[in-house]
Amino acid sequence: MTKKNNIHEASFRDPSGYMFYDGDSLRRSIQPIYFPQYKKLTESGFFKTLIKNNLLISHAETSVSDTEIIITPEKIPFITNPYEWSFEQYKQAALLTLKIQKFALSKGFILKDASSYNVTFHKGNPIFIDTLSFDFYEENTPWRAYKQFITHFLGPLVLAKFHGNDIFNMMQTHIDGIPVKLISSMLPSKTRLSSVLYPNIHLLAKMESKHNDDYKGETKIAKLSKKAHENILESLYNYISKLELKEATEWGDYYSKTNYDTDAFSKKKDLIRDWVLPLNADSLIDIGGNDGTFARTVLDSIPNILVTDIDRNAVDYNYKQVIKNKEKNMLPFVCDVLQPAPGIGFDNTERNSLIDRLKDFDPDVTLALALIHHITLSGNVPFEKSASFFASFSNYLLIEFPKREDSWVESLLVRKREFINHFDFYNEENFEKGFSAYFTLEKKTIVEGTQRIMYLYKKK
Amino acid sequence: MNFLYFDPGLGAMIVQAVVAVAAGVLLFSKNAMYKIKTLLGLKTKEDGYDSIDIDEDDTESDDEKE
Repeated sequence: MTKKNNIHEASFRDPSGYMFYDGDSLRRSIQPIYFPQYKKLTESGFFKTLIKNNLLISHAETSVSDTEIIITPEKIPFITNPYEWSFEQYKQAALLTLKIQKFALSKGFILKDASSYNVTFHKGNPIFIDTLSFDFYEENTPWRAYKQFITHFLGPLVLAKFHGNDIFNMMQTHIDGIPVKLISSMLPSKTRLSSVLYPNIHLLAKMESKHNDDYKGETKIAKLSKKAHENILESLYNYISKLELKEATEWGDYYSKTNYDTDAFSKKKDLIRDWVLPLNADSLIDIGGNDGTFARTVLDSIPNILVTDIDRNAVDYNYKQVIKNKEKNMLPFVCDVLQPAPGIGFDNTERNSLIDRLKDFDPDVTLALALIHHITLSGNVPFEKSASFFASFSNYLLIEFPKREDSWVESLLVRKREFINHFDFYNEENFEKGFSAYFTLEKKTIVEGTQRIMYLYKKK
Repeated sequence: MNFLYFDPGLGAMIVQAVVAVAAGVLLFSKNAMYKIKTLLGLKTKEDGYDSIDIDEDDTESDDEKE
């Protein structure tokens, strides 16, 4: 048996197996308790069909013995978590889960859990990453993962519809999904009239409270035919496919609100391309990258691109472009630089913090365009601290500094009112001083037609 | 054999019988409406999402062709 000390922190919940690091490779150990399932799933061609349809991450069998089977899944460069998804991404992840469950059912299997952490985004699509989530279907039994599907997928999506998509942040504090009772209490009373939401959420919440103290498991579990089971899945699928955000999307015309003209805009694009291409980067992250407009200037030459923004609608717009253009190397996700996703779950290590994941991703290039004035003036973060943040995961840093004369900086400063003098430090000289503690300056130029300076830094 | 490593929620196991009935009615009426609309030539355009069913046609085609 291989010696494993580096067990992945996210895989302790399921006794069927666990993930571990073998050097740089992430592998999955399968325990004898799961051998019958694994063998059937493999031999029946079930895995093959899902993998061929890009629904399940592919894997190769690395070793087989009587006590352990080891498989090596295809590497995913960067894992995003549910609270970092936009509405469309969340929706697609939910639909993928239902699709897989329906298919599994038709082949005599079920998804034994329906956690949203079983899905992530890879090569432009949602993909199921927990290969051991399948079990044998027993005739006439209800879906054991049904409640999990509601608390992880349907609940958050419906709450987003009524309360805005930032509700997904709740998944950060509820790693097991949002409790049904809470979902039910947060929904407007008119949802009780919905033939989908009433049974799936309100009635479920009621039944859960009712049977809460049946510690002995005495209540008889109702039977559920396969057809009935399929109906549940299909009706959830139809409902979620049609879900849309209630809030009007303000997104889409962001760049018409820029404070510089189209000529300066295209010059900025050229400048970014001219500076980034010679770095021959394999990976890039654009922080505060809106809908990915600037990252797309180098899309043809960098295999792995992440674009984050605090605005979930911008991320959504970006993701829709990824789908439309079938972009395989662009991964949008939500991030608030002033409050990046923390490590959550048991021991705070079950789901890694954003900074830890970025350190692992180790991007060759970091873009931070029109961002530093927000960090400094809205977040009151000193330049040295911003520099140390970027230095924790960046190699090359391409950062744009809007000067005091820039109209957006002006308006941020005006809002400080009588405290405006506290921000006298916001200037080119102090910016450079702060960043020189962690970076060496490679290039510097004014972005033509604007009050902004572009810097190319290399980490010391 | 099914083994569980988390509590599926007893209420959730029971409620599925009711959920399924509601879903059945909904799907039946949806299909009925669809058929009526098709007959009347009012067929509406489908949304951009795939159907829930996975396309398996090509899976074993290489082996079966011989």
